[in-house]
Amino acid sequence: MKLPVEEVIKKYQRNLYASAFNVCKNQQDSEDAVQETLIQYFTESKNFESEEHIRAWLLRVVINKAKNKNRIFFRQNTVALDDYIETLTFVSEQSQEIFEEVMKLPDKYRIVIHLFYYEGYSVNEIADILRETKSNVKTKLSRGRAMLKNTLAEVWNDDK
Amino acid sequence: MMTNKEKYTQAFNAIYTSPTLNLEVVKMENIKKKRRLKPVLTAAAACVLIVSSASVAYAKDVAGIRRTIQLWLRGDQTDAVIQFDGKGHYNMNYTDDKGNEISQGGGGVAILDDGTEVAATEDELAEMLNSPEVEYRSDGSVWVYWFSNKLEITDKFEDDVCFLKLENGKDILYMTIKYKGGYATSTSEYIQPWQFN
Repeated sequence: MKLPVEEVIKKYQRNLYASAFNVCKNQQDSEDAVQETLIQYFTESKNFESEEHIRAWLLRVVINKAKNKNRIFFRQNTVALDDYIETLTFVSEQSQEIFEEVMKLPDKYRIVIHLFYYEGYSVNEIADILRETKSNVKTKLSRGRAMLKNTLAEVWNDDK
Repeated sequence: MMTNKEKYTQAFNAIYTSPTLNLEVVKMENIKKKRRLKPVLTAAAACVLIVSSASVAYAKDVAGIRRTIQLWLRGDQTDAVIQFDGKGHYNMNYTDDKGNEISQGGGGVAILDDGTEVAATEDELAEMLNSPEVEYRSDGSVWVYWFSNKLEITDKFEDDVCFLKLENGKDILYMTIKYKGGYATSTSEYIQPWQFN
């Protein structure tokens, strides 16, 4: 199956952008990664098994494209993260604090945390998306959580 | 008490894409759709006819290619006899609002993904005729017609661009009009002016 690209944009653009931003930490590169992902989806001749398959594929591609942006030696001028955060409207100070602390996590933990808490994926599913072992994902998730607990204290509950 | 997942989601819901994000893929999708039909006008009539698909009434078909349909002409309804030649062309006869008998022909080709051109089908031609029309009148006013909708948009331009949302029952069309510079439509969002022409 393949959803029309306009439907994909409606359903997943925001999520793709959030994942890309999690990796790139700036708006311009994140938007470029989303755009490139959608173009790749549009031109892709692959037949997807289900909408879940499409979603996972999109996330994998946008994360890889976002990572590639980070590898470019000569970067175009981008807005600093702190400046971008100033433009955001958070529902509470706590929300802003969580956002800022998550963005301070090491890259390798941050995307795992994001896929777990924002996208609601299990460890197995995250391993599949990131093409990593289940054991690696578990370790990164555990360490990322520990760091958040340490910096956010009461704001961040103990995960069961 | 909120869970970590709820807190995290709430925090990250604050981020957004730039409102000027130029989704190239939307442009590509629209180009792919529009390229399917290349109208070939064979008559001098300048008007574009708007067909209400909800009111299509088929008379006795002659070899399955001759039909009487109800048209929306500049927002008004009239009957027309349309004849398809089965090769992507049609001829149509109708009476306009001034009582004049009008004969108009046209046609189209569909461009497949590999670039081959094939004759448009009757349904594809009807879809082409369903496009909105923008009229620039001699008195300087500007009008948009789509099915039974007719709307004056003379004062709706800002920086020579007008954004218009058209609704016809369940169909919604987002229209971006450049003053005397063409227009673009999409069923999901407004096409930005720099994305066409």
